[in-house]
Amino acid sequence: MLRLITLALVGAVLIAAPLFLEPHSIGVLTTALIAALFAMAFNLLSGRAGMLSFGHAAYFAIGGFAVIHTMQAVESGAIWLPTPLVPLMGGVAGLIGGLGAGFFATRRSGVYFSMVTLALAEMLHALAPNLGGFFGGEVGLTSMRMPWLAFDYGSENQVYFTVLAWTVFGIALLYAYNQTLFGRLTVGLRESERRISFLGYNAHHTKIIVFGVSAMFSGIAGGLLAFATESMNYSMLGMGMSASVVLHTFVGGSTVFLGPALGALIFALFGSLVSDLTKNWLLYQGILFVLIMMFMGDGLAMLWIRIVNECRSRNWDALRQRVLLLIPGLLITVGAITILEVTSKILDQQQYATSVARMNAWPPVSVFGVSWDPTSALTWLLPLVAILVGIGFVYLILARKMQQRTGTIIMSREPAR
Amino acid sequence: MTQAAIELAGLKKRFGDNEIIRGVDLAVREHERHALIGPNGAGKSTLFHLISGLYTPSAGDILLNGRSIGGLPPHLITRRGLSRSFQITTIFPRLSVQENLRIAAMSKHGRRYALFSLARNAKEVNRDTDQLMELVRLSHVRDKFAGDLTYSEQRALEIGMAMGPGADVILLDEPMAGMSREETHYMIDLIRNVTVGKTLLVVEHDMEVVFSLCDRISVLVYGELIATGRPDDIRSNARVQEAYLGEVVA
Ligand SMILES: Nc1ncnc2c1ncn2[C@@H]1O[C@H](COP(=O)(O)OP(=O)(O)OP(=O)(O)O)[C@@H](O)[C@H]1O
Ligand SMILES: [Mg+2]
Repeated sequence: MLRLITLALVGAVLIAAPLFLEPHSIGVLTTALIAALFAMAFNLLSGRAGMLSFGHAAYFAIGGFAVIHTMQAVESGAIWLPTPLVPLMGGVAGLIGGLGAGFFATRRSGVYFSMVTLALAEMLHALAPNLGGFFGGEVGLTSMRMPWLAFDYGSENQVYFTVLAWTVFGIALLYAYNQTLFGRLTVGLRESERRISFLGYNAHHTKIIVFGVSAMFSGIAGGLLAFATESMNYSMLGMGMSASVVLHTFVGGSTVFLGPALGALIFALFGSLVSDLTKNWLLYQGILFVLIMMFMGDGLAMLWIRIVNECRSRNWDALRQRVLLLIPGLLITVGAITILEVTSKILDQQQYATSVARMNAWPPVSVFGVSWDPTSALTWLLPLVAILVGIGFVYLILARKMQQRTGTIIMSREPAR
Repeated sequence: MTQAAIELAGLKKRFGDNEIIRGVDLAVREHERHALIGPNGAGKSTLFHLISGLYTPSAGDILLNGRSIGGLPPHLITRRGLSRSFQITTIFPRLSVQENLRIAAMSKHGRRYALFSLARNAKEVNRDTDQLMELVRLSHVRDKFAGDLTYSEQRALEIGMAMGPGADVILLDEPMAGMSREETHYMIDLIRNVTVGKTLLVVEHDMEVVFSLCDRISVLVYGELIATGRPDDIRSNARVQEAYLGEVVA
């Protein structure tokens, strides 16, 4: 029930978004939705079938290029296809590419599988500049969205709603896939490939199909990006794209159905918000990833489920502890950001070095609207103290929890003596 | 005489220079319960791996109901009607008991690429799943993760998985290893029930189990069969006593 309400709320917010967001933010949200569908497609292979692909950008990009070529053909009148259906061609191309690559990659398992997927994607990436006809060389390819019926696809909103519809449709299909007999078999593949073979299934063929389906939905996502940006470049084939989908999936949580979509949305929004504030945003994104993997390895969706369960079972102790941890968390975060930002501003070659030379002094820098003098000890001590106090707090809270735990164990052992 | 369910002819398996199976000839009759016994490291599991297709024979042939299966991959052997359990439990630990057995039952109906049928609507598959669950007496833990079951429940599930594809020839590798006396009796009864009307080849160390469950026994020592016969013949066979029973039964 709660799940349905949450979903309805998210849906309502997404549909109403153009009412309260400016066009630029709608563009960000469009990219976020595409990343969400991509992560969901990736997780079918990684989370459900247990095959971690390090080269999924390939199928995303193949879909994107197929769609750009389709759009060009529609534009020139060579073929007829309603504009909102154009992303479908990305799915077709992704499926074909995925079945082909899957045939080779799924012959191996574990790390070897990951390495083959990585190698295949890198091979395509290296070849692409030489195949200018298909990949458009250094400059890439562009095309125009053709009007269809009453839609001219000239506004951010029309593009946004098309992408939203495809994303919801794709995720719904992936959900349905999991409910089929083959979807159940897919999870068995992750649990024990040997058992699958000895039950009479051809494990290799099964894995090729799962790979193909995952690549198909990745291709739709790539196609949506081509559709939304009206352009495609071979750099899409690079490691960056392959790595970010892994990141999104694990941050969101690969064991919860919508976890990867959550991870993708959070990272896309985080990137867009924080990159406006600081150019160190990639560093913060990396730190966030490491922290999430260290302290909640099963992802944010799992954290959410735990909190909901604690509310349901009225586990106030656990909830109070989470709220208490927010205080030191805030102290550590603010302290760390201050030190990082002051340091990075001083080390910024062009700007700071010239002003040091001109004034023959170390001018103060501004972080959080406060001006910090780099030569003053306070600038470094204050954030450091905040971090240390924060860590001390965390230690105290966790130590008390440990004490309570061992306390109960000792008490329960008492009568036995 | 009826045709043999499994027939091994001059079967050999080498790993490098090491010959583990050294020319085994054996005929397991249709509908009999046949035990394979022998000391640790004799090659019993290796023989099972050969018959079930995990390993390919170095020499010799394997016939299933008169047709050669030597060198076929495991999934094709299963489809021809031979299914097995493993000495090391091989189930789907993070799936429920019901999901485990459903994947096993799907195979019997040939639903191997059922991309467009919802699991919940697959009537025959679900009916067979429930039957299997009752057969191995795990209905009370239907929704538990297989990995959270007790050891003996996991071993029962392992047998259920072997029964899923509906094969007529069943291979069980040490189904009661590590069980208490009580659990062992429970398991003998269960195995007797699930293999009614089927051919069973079972590896087992416990003599009491072997003598009470099986019609015939074969003894494997260092990769060679030294005897095959009814329990009484095996008990009184001098070579068997010397090589194997002497130390265990005494
Ligand atoms: N893949 C392999 N490569 C090399 N040697 C192997 C291999 N598999 C098994 N062996 C060797 O073959 C011999 C027989 O092993 P096997 O597991 O078949 O014995 P077993 O009769 O099942 O014993 P146990 O009663 O302990 O289960 C052992 O000495 C083992 O080391
Ligand atoms: Mg063995």
